[in-house]
Amino acid sequence: MTTRPRLRKSSSQVIGVLALALFGVLAAVFLTASFGDAAGFPADGSITAAIGYAMFNLDAGAFPSEGFLVSFIVIAVVLDAALDVAVMLGLREEEEDTMASDGRGTRGDR
Amino acid sequence: MAVPVQYYLVLSAAVFCIGLFGILTRRNALMFLMSVELMLNAANINFVAFSFQHGNLTGQVFSLFTMALAAAEVAVGIGIILVLYRNFADVDVTKATTLRW
Amino acid sequence: MAAESGVFTFAPAIAVLPFVSFLVALFAGKYMPKKGAVAGIAATAGSLLLSLVMLAQVASGHAHHMELYTWVGGEGVPFELTFGILLDQLSTLMLVIVSTIAFLVHVFSLGYMNDEGETGLPRYYAELGLFSASMLAFVFSDNVLMAFMFFELVGLCSYLLIGFWFRRPGPASAAKKAFLVTRFGDYFFLIGVVGIFATFGTGTFGGPGVEESFPELAEAAIAGGASVNTFFGLSPRAWFGVLGLLVLGGVMGKSAQFPFHTWLPDAMEGPTPVSALIHAATMVAAGVYLVARMYGFYALLPTVLAVIAFVGGFTALFAATMGVVKDEIKQVLAYSTISQYGYIMLALGGGGYVAGVFHLTTHAVFKALLFLGAGSVIIAMHHNENMWDMGGLKDRMPVTYYAFLSGSLALAGIVPFSGFWSKDEVLYETLVHGLGGSPLLLAAYAMGLLAVFFTGFYTFRMVLLTFHGEPRTDLAEDPEPVRWNVKIPLAILGVLAAVIGVINLVPVHALESSVPEFLHDWLYHGPEGLNGEHYHELITSPEFAGYSAGAIPGLGELGTLFASAGLSLAVALAGSAVALALYRAPAPEEHTAKLGSLKTLLYENYYQDEYQVWLAQDLTEETVAKNAKRFDDGVVDGFVDRVSDVSLVSGHFLRRVQTGIVSNYAALITLGLVVLLVAFGIVGGWFGGVFA
Repeated sequence: MTTRPRLRKSSSQVIGVLALALFGVLAAVFLTASFGDAAGFPADGSITAAIGYAMFNLDAGAFPSEGFLVSFIVIAVVLDAALDVAVMLGLREEEEDTMASDGRGTRGDR
Repeated sequence: MAVPVQYYLVLSAAVFCIGLFGILTRRNALMFLMSVELMLNAANINFVAFSFQHGNLTGQVFSLFTMALAAAEVAVGIGIILVLYRNFADVDVTKATTLRW
Repeated sequence: MAAESGVFTFAPAIAVLPFVSFLVALFAGKYMPKKGAVAGIAATAGSLLLSLVMLAQVASGHAHHMELYTWVGGEGVPFELTFGILLDQLSTLMLVIVSTIAFLVHVFSLGYMNDEGETGLPRYYAELGLFSASMLAFVFSDNVLMAFMFFELVGLCSYLLIGFWFRRPGPASAAKKAFLVTRFGDYFFLIGVVGIFATFGTGTFGGPGVEESFPELAEAAIAGGASVNTFFGLSPRAWFGVLGLLVLGGVMGKSAQFPFHTWLPDAMEGPTPVSALIHAATMVAAGVYLVARMYGFYALLPTVLAVIAFVGGFTALFAATMGVVKDEIKQVLAYSTISQYGYIMLALGGGGYVAGVFHLTTHAVFKALLFLGAGSVIIAMHHNENMWDMGGLKDRMPVTYYAFLSGSLALAGIVPFSGFWSKDEVLYETLVHGLGGSPLLLAAYAMGLLAVFFTGFYTFRMVLLTFHGEPRTDLAEDPEPVRWNVKIPLAILGVLAAVIGVINLVPVHALESSVPEFLHDWLYHGPEGLNGEHYHELITSPEFAGYSAGAIPGLGELGTLFASAGLSLAVALAGSAVALALYRAPAPEEHTAKLGSLKTLLYENYYQDEYQVWLAQDLTEETVAKNAKRFDDGVVDGFVDRVSDVSLVSGHFLRRVQTGIVSNYAALITLGLVVLLVAFGIVGGWFGGVFA
């Protein structure tokens, strides 16, 4: 089917104008807004290390942050669930087939 | 001198709209997944930009979580595309219209 | 004092006992000997006993009022709705009458229902118990709302009992008719009750220890001493007249006054003991009792009194003429009931409070007797009610005959039976108040007097056809014997019907003042505001009813009294004599044919049923209801249908938006987002003041 990227020139491209319009609106808003100066991070101290500490609620980072231990665990569970779902979706067809044949077989036996 | 935050936002909006454009015009489900990935990353750009703006790490940490979430989304999305292909023998999203009225 | 209120604490039991018998008969009746009759007899005997105790207490000068239960009331509520008991001279007298009749009817039912092998007896006795309970509770109600509730229960029970044989079309339709016609009147009563509460803020009848009662408030308002809420810009007097007429609607429905009388002859479809109960003591009596109960209110309103008197007199005559031609014994009695209640209304409207209560009392006794006697005859005749198939029963059932004769003489008003004394007093009171300057009352009196003739006629026609002459059928030749449970109630009532007039021998008292007028004294010594003396003051006060007593010119008061008594007796004797002349033969002929077309008119009850059916069916159903249905179908339903059509059609087109293609949904969402952002941006000034 889609062996290589190909630029389509069908009428469906026209709808993409909406995306451009959205960009126009957003850009107009952003560019006319003023946010003031950035606070930034002081030069001394490792940002990466601070992220690591923040993720496990350790109070040793160089920069302020909230604790994210619970979020970390929740995301871990979500990832796990997504993995299971992916496996399930991938296997379902086969299982149904086997179940159907099994069911027919057992019913026939009885 | 640091880049003003507006430019990051415009960049993020551009990435988001590219992703949106993909969703609006493409018919291939895999392209959909990629486009969604672009849109998620547009959000990440915002997170990091404002993290810098406010001098607070929360945005950066959160962008990590967004990536993890994107991974989960792709895992499920791929599974759905697999089922889509099995049911319609195609990954064209405009063909899967049997759930409408 | 403590001891007396101790006795009065048992007062609720008067109504509760029959109610318990209702429950017992309903749930355990089929396991009991006599199918629940025993419970009913015991309960009504208990009620009778308690009523007599209460009567004795009240006689010793202690009327009693108590509140049992307040079900709406408290801070900030404009009026209280309560259940309470008012035991005064009038209500205890009525309690005794009702419980006596109920007791005898229960005993009689043993013979009429049990011995005849009827089915559904537990239901019968349960309904009889509920009937007695609701009537007794109605009688001792202390306020008009409680009275209304039990009034309705009485109506419900009579519906159930008239339709006791509900599998036959006749009783079922008669029950429905009784229910609907009385309900039509009760509708006005209900509005009247609401009006009374809205006007006075209380519905109590009065009595000892009652601070405000609506008759007293009304009296004060007319006299200018109190202010009440009136409506529609009417003066207090006019507005009270409206209220009085509204309540009167319920009274006329229940007491079968013209034009609401049509249900009563049909109610004969019920078992005969039930007819006795309905006609003598409960259902029909409830209406006139209500007038007597709130007489302090009616006595203020000369217009309403005149309406009551005129309706009463007209009904008395009207019903009596219809009774003249009927063939069935119970039909004759039914029309006589309507007629007699017309007399009671005539008395109350004519200012004769004592006379009305007196006639209510005597009528309860002799009409119960006549119905039970008719029931006895019907048992003997195997439920054939046609008088032309009877004859000659005099020798075969002497107890029934003599009891029935006693009741008939009372009904016809022959001296010295009870009916003479009471009917005479009714006519006398109306006459003197009419002569005192009220031509309307005189007209009502004339109708009442004329009705006496017809009463005498149909009564003796009935007696002669039933009991005299030769037996006209094999059944009458050899009637089924009746047992003690029929004979004893008949004997008791037969004696009572003959002598109960003793309680108020007005003409004798006028001659020889050592002979007391018991009932007169009794009712005149009620609690303040609820006694005959007070009513008499109201009636004669020019501020209120403004009746005054007159006399026939040249005869004086005493002469008028005797002239009136002699006149009514003479008319009654004349009517009886005509009946005797026409029907006293071994084989009497039907003389009704001589009446020609008048006979048909009377047979068809003046086409009252027909015109009411026309009102209900042709006018209401065919015209009003049909147009209302057209409006409902066309406009109301039509509007609803159009709304659904519009949404259906628009939905049909709008659903095309749902293509099922993901890209289109995404496009719509994007479009929406852009539009929203632009809108918010313009409103919120996000574009750096470009659009602001």
